[in-house]
Amino acid sequence: MGRKSRRRGILRIDPVGIFGVFLLIMIWQALTLALPPSSLPTPSSVVARIGRDFIRAEELSFYGLADTGLLNSMIYTATNVMIAVALGSLVGTIAGFVTARFHNVRAILDPIVMTMGTIPILVLAPFFLIWFGVERMSAVLLVVLYVAVILYIFAQRAADNLDPVYEEYAYTLGASSKRIVWDILIPGTVPQVLGGIRIALAGAWGLEAIAELLGAQYGIGKIIQVLAGATDVQGIFAALIVLGLVAVISDGLAALVFAHVAAWSAAARPGGN
Amino acid sequence: MRLENGIAIKASQLSQSFRRADGQLVDALSSVNFEVLKGQFVCLIGPSGCGKTTLLQIIAGLLLPSSGILEVGNQVVTRPSPERGMVFQKDSVFPWMRVINNVEYGLACRGVGSGERRAIAEHYLERVGLAHVARAWPRELSGGMLKRVAVATVFANGASVLLLDEPFGALDYVTKRHLHNVLLTLWAETGRNKPRTVLFVTHDVDEALILADRILVFHTGRIVDDLALVAPRPRTTDTLLMPQMVQNKHLLLAHLGLETKQAGTGATSSIVRAAND
Amino acid sequence: MTEVRAFFRRHGVSIIVLGVMAAIWQILSLLYTTEAVPGEPMIPGWQVVFTRTLISLSDYWQGGLGVPSVAEGAPPSYTAALLAIVSNSLDTMVRLYLGLLIGGLVGTFLGLAVSWSKWSRRTVELPLQFIRTLPLLAMVPLFQLWFGIYFAGKVAFVAYGVGVIFFAGVVNAVKNVPQVYIDNARTQGANRVQLYLTIILPSIFPELRATILLSLGTAWGAVLGAEYLGAQSGLGYIIVYSEAFAYLDRMFVVALLFVFYASISYAIFNRLSLKLLQWMPRVGRVIVVG
Repeated sequence: MGRKSRRRGILRIDPVGIFGVFLLIMIWQALTLALPPSSLPTPSSVVARIGRDFIRAEELSFYGLADTGLLNSMIYTATNVMIAVALGSLVGTIAGFVTARFHNVRAILDPIVMTMGTIPILVLAPFFLIWFGVERMSAVLLVVLYVAVILYIFAQRAADNLDPVYEEYAYTLGASSKRIVWDILIPGTVPQVLGGIRIALAGAWGLEAIAELLGAQYGIGKIIQVLAGATDVQGIFAALIVLGLVAVISDGLAALVFAHVAAWSAAARPGGN
Repeated sequence: MRLENGIAIKASQLSQSFRRADGQLVDALSSVNFEVLKGQFVCLIGPSGCGKTTLLQIIAGLLLPSSGILEVGNQVVTRPSPERGMVFQKDSVFPWMRVINNVEYGLACRGVGSGERRAIAEHYLERVGLAHVARAWPRELSGGMLKRVAVATVFANGASVLLLDEPFGALDYVTKRHLHNVLLTLWAETGRNKPRTVLFVTHDVDEALILADRILVFHTGRIVDDLALVAPRPRTTDTLLMPQMVQNKHLLLAHLGLETKQAGTGATSSIVRAAND
Repeated sequence: MTEVRAFFRRHGVSIIVLGVMAAIWQILSLLYTTEAVPGEPMIPGWQVVFTRTLISLSDYWQGGLGVPSVAEGAPPSYTAALLAIVSNSLDTMVRLYLGLLIGGLVGTFLGLAVSWSKWSRRTVELPLQFIRTLPLLAMVPLFQLWFGIYFAGKVAFVAYGVGVIFFAGVVNAVKNVPQVYIDNARTQGANRVQLYLTIILPSIFPELRATILLSLGTAWGAVLGAEYLGAQSGLGYIIVYSEAFAYLDRMFVVALLFVFYASISYAIFNRLSLKLLQWMPRVGRVIVVG
């Protein structure tokens, strides 16, 4: 509520916020005094565990998951997420643009996507596991679908909201339709579309992880599933924190890149929610 | 010329500095001194970013000065009070309350009974010509009507000091002139038993000449001129053509950098006067 | 009659598209007749659903109310199937709405409390950002280890997911309240409590509307995820239990039910919030993907 609280810089981290993170860790530490380590491991033991499991996790081979560690499981999960977000964004954005400008297509696609939009995509996971097996395909398709629906909505809304005056102005200057797409439509909607990709990316990590939990051979979700079977809370914490850190870092990187791409736009501030 | 207790607002060595987003320190006000008499209608004029709004926020109690003292009615201002009503530059009418509830909001905050405050609110809505939209949502009103609501609100609250921050800046010419009349009428009539002091920020020279008893000219955080306008009210188009008004207009335009300073002899002398302050 | 016609005018295209989707499903089931396991088609057509699937759901009736369960040796019946649907739907919905209520209240309260001062808000912003980015659905096993795989575990998980969204949503919404409204109220003599009740709460509501819709989507996803990964009842439980036997037809029916409930919850919320927000200029429907 402060008068001057709204200044923003490129990814400037509030020192008070660092204190907040420190406070959070202290609260966690304090809670471990009241709870047994089997429910809540100490922060230091989790950090130690991450170090121990990073390249190759001994415990996991006892539980039947040989020769893997947090690093290569995370790489597997991250690869799936990146492929899915890229593919889903492409499909969703194109469909969103097309429907924003061609009303016949919109009349057909809108009800389908809006239905998809209101259901938890997760409901499809068990179907995909039977249809496409427990390989990479099922999880990636699930995330592609999720991302595509979000981007469809964001791209369509952005194209709808783009003031027609820009396109009309470009036509009066003699631009071709192709040029208008590249010079007006895409740059004009880029902040909202990138904002949509950031939202989709944030949700994608959890969806990918639970898809792996439900049935997969590799990935951080698979590790969590195996550790949960062994009620190894410390290991789960280690895996969750690695996944969380990767999610936070990827979000920060995305924000940075997007701020650069859409520097002219007020919507493209990093740190803006 | 009047008694000491005739002073409504007194600023002594008032300064305010901000740290800009790039880290540089900017002086919005530097050592400003002035006094405003009770019941006076004062216009603050100056180019954008010269500290007028900052001054108004300090008087309202929304902002504490970096240094110096601001007194209203012999009391140092440290926080907002319903004694000092404000009409904001941006639309400040609460969109989630109906028009009538907006006008009676301040009274409700102070626990005035519902019957009484409803009567006061209806009276002032009537006076600004909005009795017919009392039950409407603000979104159904035009920009000019919203400003009328804000004016009604500030009068309904019964403040003795009214602070208006470029209230009519975004309005069209006709609406603006109508609102000037509404404002002046309300100011004049309540002024009899309880004088209302008005500080009106603007950068419209004609607006200042029509409204003010006195014009304070701001430039880069300082008062650079202080003009008294003795022209009779109500002021008409003819009033504005009186020689002394025309001279004042030249002077103000020169301060705003729109005319060269040689336009009138008064300009030079007033700058000398400001420098001697 | 006019109401029926108005309904069709408004929803006509959607109804046609849904019909076409149902038809495409049927065509796919006829074209692609591969079976997951013998007797269980990969794409169960409507003839399968309406003949054997509905009655087979009586497997998930656990007995009581004078209707014996299949496990007790009773033959499958439509009564038992209906009871199975109703009781499992209720289980899922109670978990969902209770979690939503607890999470929403706790999250809103914490968000408002933290927004009381600039310093407390700044302290929580960064850690909150981190907590919010932690992938929720990956945390199901953790909540099961903490709160068990029964009722409390599911409610706690939904409440946590919803609570984090509300907490962050409220903090952000309070931060975005236009300063001019706060200044205006203060110059009119509003005190801190009046400021909260008459200015901050109503002006954060439009932004909270998006938060509530987002949390609704999250809640449906969370309850489903929690039921997938360990439960003794509920729609998600039926889906994964059926998956183990490749009963795609049962999964299909229960998934449709689930989608139906979720859609209804959105429709009800949209109605309610539009009513509450009639003061707002141009309120559009907000679509959130969950």
